[in-house]
Order: sequence, then C-alpha cells, then structure tokens
Amino acid sequence: MSKISAPKSNREFIEACVKAGDAVRIKQEVDWENEAGAIVRRACELAAPAPFMEKIKDYPGFSYFGAPLSTYRRMAISLGMDPASSLPDIGKEYLKRTNSEPIAPVLVDKKDAPCKENILMGKDVDLCKLPVPLVHDGDGGRYVGTWHAVVTKHPVRGDVNWGMYRQMMFDSRTMSGAVFPFSDLGKALSEYYLPRGESCPFATAIGLSPLAAMAACAPSPIPEPELVGMLSGEPARLVKCETNDLEVPADAEIIIEGEICPDYKVEEGPFGEYTGYRTSPRDFRVTFRVNCITYRNNATMTISNMGVPQDEGQLLRSFSLGLELEKLLRSQGIPVTGVYMHPRSTHHMMIVGVKPAYSGIAQQIAQLAFGSKLGPWFHMVMVVDDQTDIFNWDEVYHAFCTRCHPANGIHIYKNTTGTPLYPYATPHERKYSIGSKVLFDCLWPVDWDKINDVPTLVSFKNVYPKDIQEKVMNNWTAYGYPEVK
Amino acid sequence: MKNMWEVFVMDMSELAEGKDIELSIRTLNPGLHKYTYKRVKCQVSAKQDKFSDSLQVRMGRGQLSASKFSIKVLEEVERMPEKYR
Repeated sequence: MSKISAPKSNREFIEACVKAGDAVRIKQEVDWENEAGAIVRRACELAAPAPFMEKIKDYPGFSYFGAPLSTYRRMAISLGMDPASSLPDIGKEYLKRTNSEPIAPVLVDKKDAPCKENILMGKDVDLCKLPVPLVHDGDGGRYVGTWHAVVTKHPVRGDVNWGMYRQMMFDSRTMSGAVFPFSDLGKALSEYYLPRGESCPFATAIGLSPLAAMAACAPSPIPEPELVGMLSGEPARLVKCETNDLEVPADAEIIIEGEICPDYKVEEGPFGEYTGYRTSPRDFRVTFRVNCITYRNNATMTISNMGVPQDEGQLLRSFSLGLELEKLLRSQGIPVTGVYMHPRSTHHMMIVGVKPAYSGIAQQIAQLAFGSKLGPWFHMVMVVDDQTDIFNWDEVYHAFCTRCHPANGIHIYKNTTGTPLYPYATPHERKYSIGSKVLFDCLWPVDWDKINDVPTLVSFKNVYPKDIQEKVMNNWTAYGYPEVK
Repeated sequence: MKNMWEVFVMDMSELAEGKDIELSIRTLNPGLHKYTYKRVKCQVSAKQDKFSDSLQVRMGRGQLSASKFSIKVLEEVERMPEKYR
C-alpha cells in the first residue's frame, strides 16, 4: 500500500481543513449556550466550511470544532485524499483500506500522551469545567458526547468497542445516554452487567482524529483500534486510562473515565436527532458516572449538530453503512455493482445495484441486509439493475417510479428490529425498538422475454448509434449550447 | 435569592399542586452549572407569586410551555444507589 498521509489528530485535521478552505477560524467569542450549536447547524444546512471557534464564553483556553465530517470534501481530507475526490473514489479507497491487513494499535507512555496534560480526579471532577455546549434550544441538557467514542471492553471476550452513543450532562459527575439494546454495548449491559449488578468501566474520548471518529461510527466487524490503523496506514496510538484498564486514543482532546451503572437510570433527552426531528422523548436511559477527566492544553471539543440534512450523522453513517453492506453482499457472492445510501435519506434507504442474474435476487439482498447487524439502522432497500447509476438520484428515482410493480415489487417485512428514533414509528414501536422494513424491487422480472416483454429505455445514451452520439456531443457548442461540464 | 428552574414533563398533570411531589429540575441560573439537574422533593403552584423560585416548563420533546409555575424546593433527593456514589 502506498504511504497514506491522513491527519493523525483532530488538530492536524483542522489545519488541513483550514488550508483547503474547508474550515473557518472564528475569532470572536461564541456562547456555549445555543450560539455555537446554531453556527454548526447553519454550516451543515449550507454545506459551508466547518467552524473552528477559538474563543468560548466562560471557558478561556478551550475551543470548538463543529461539523467535522458533514461534507464529502472533509471526508476526503480525513482520508488524506484530494478534497475534490468523487464519492465513488472515496468509497473505493475506504474499501481498499478496510480490506487490507489489520494494523494493531500501539500503547504509548503517559508522558507521550497529550490527552494527559491535565488530570482531574476526586473532588476536582466536574463536567462543567469543560465547555459542554447546549447544542439545540430545548435539548434535555448540555451534550458532552456528540462526536466522540465511548470505549468499553467486553468482560468475557475482551473485545474492545468504540461506539458513538450520545451523552448528556445530567450533573457535574453524571451523564445519561442513549444505548440501544441491539448495540454492542447494549448487549453487554443486558447480558452481563445488569444480571450481576456490576458496573461497566467506560471512557469517552472527545476530539478524536477524524479516522478514529469514522471508525467509532462505522458498523464494521473489525475492532475499532485496528480499523483506525487500516484507515490511516499506521498504528493508532493508545494510552491506558487513569482509573480503569481501558485504552484510549493518546492524541484525543478530552477523555472522561468512569463506570456505567446498569441498574440505575436517569433522565436523558430530548435531543435533535439525525433523522431531522426530536423523535424519542425524554426518558430514563443509561447512566454514566464520571471518576476522572483528562484533557490537552487548549483542548478543542468537537460538536456534531444533528438535524435536517446534512450533517455527519447522515453523511458518514450513510457512507459506512452502504460500504459495509456492499462487503457483506459481495462476501455472499451476489453480483452487486455497488451500494449507496443518499445522506438525505437520513441513512434510511439503501440503494443496491445488481446484475439481475437470477429470480429473487432482490429479495435475497433485502433479507441479508435487514437480517444483518446493519439492519436496524435502515428500513428501505431499493434494488436497481446494473445499468442504473446508483449515485444518480434522477436515474434511481426514474427506475423506482417505472419498474417497481405496485403489487409485485413492494415487499413488506413486519415486526423486525427498529430504533426509537424512527419518526414514522408508532409510540409503541419506538418504546420497544420494533421496526418494519420494505423492499422496492426495481428489476425487470427474469422470466420476461428480453426482446418482447422488457420495455426499451429511451435515452440519449441508449437509443442513438454511437457515431450519432459522438457527433452531437462534439458539435454541442457549435449548435449554440454552453459547454457541458 | 430567587432561583430559576426548568422541568420536562410529558403531561401537565405531573405538576400536581397542593402536595409534595418529586421532580428532576435543572437550574437556569447563569453560570458554569446552568442546565445541570437535581432530583428534589418540592411543591409547585400555577400562581407565579406563591413561591419565591420560578419554574419554567418544557414538554417531552423540548417544546416550551406557555404555563409558568413557581416552586418551593423542600429537599434534595438522592436516587443514586450507595454503591455508585
């Protein structure tokens, strides 16, 4: 593999974004109460450069970096690619790196770990010493974790999990968070810790390198510390926590250590969510008790402001869910041409391109997709043929509206796994994470005669001879039209 | 000093008047600890001048209610099990 020059820390990433014109330095003081969140939200809705807010009211020395990966340009920068790289090229690079040999992390000494520059223990522990923002007006609290990794380790298997579970500051030493029962952490809590009444050690890492955040967000079976190494081309640098045995990214801006109390829940939410709504109401959720806070000098807190498209909650999740499903389908020998989730679907619709090689292939794809670990995060699968450009919504929408038979092409799956965040779900379904799924089969049936039954696509590319196409394209400006880019 | 508090409820009936009730309320007082919570035993009233502290109300998805209350905090309630304190 050629040498990868991806940003290795949040600070390197900010510098790279500023240099490329994909981040702006905001020098004037910004209020942690709503103003910072509003800046990030507006930047997301305008697809504007990421705001790097260097002066926070009440919190001298701290800064914010918002909307870190809410554009494909910043995603390309995070991977060390040309910011102008196309989405298919970014996807190919992600697949190449994540199909490479795992790269194990290295453990560094405390003295070489910037995240240990300041350490708060005992009575000094107070989450209010960090510039925790009120991200949206009306949120249930100030959110500590919106773009971060909650690090845990399975008590029996020992496998490490980094997950992006949102965390609200309840009081100076307590956070509450949304941990779904089907998630890795949710399963460990319900299967192991809750029956035993034991607390679960955790560490929240904030201000990660963009690829560490990408790994925490990706639904990959590869352990996140190794996945970071594969994405960045070199081992992730980890350091041991102060109060438990977990290992955390040494270059993170802020680390919060503590224990999850499985049999004690406090109120969490509401919060603006990736679907573009506040769907899940305030409720009793998982409690994180804080024992220690460590942070870099002049620490930068990262903020993701979820709401209507598009922010990194939609963009990155769509990206990684689509590519992980592509890997799964290829591993099963299905002749897919690609998988794509448009971020504006708020990662609810999976578009799969496939060679229609045999009957029932769309159903096979949907059953694999919905039945996989990825399944709870989306409820629509649309299967189109290999002649349809899955990245071109105009083509996909045309295929959907013309080839999906209203009676035969729509397949509904009831009583599946869902999430409490689905806006369309009934209150009962949200409470118990019950979902429903739908497949839109936009393939011509294989038992239709290709000459006499399958309609012919009438398009410039499809109905004219090659020489005529070339003549028209070559003469396009001569006809008086502006050049087509 | 008059304190400002806020509470989230799913239904206004959770704010029963004329008796001691338990609520999780968050402070709206300016400062670093703004928006942190306490669990309290308290009395509330729809009459804003009945008690010295004010209570603003939001619904379950953050909608600000037009109703304003006053509140008297009687005592803090510790819910956290001893083993986690």
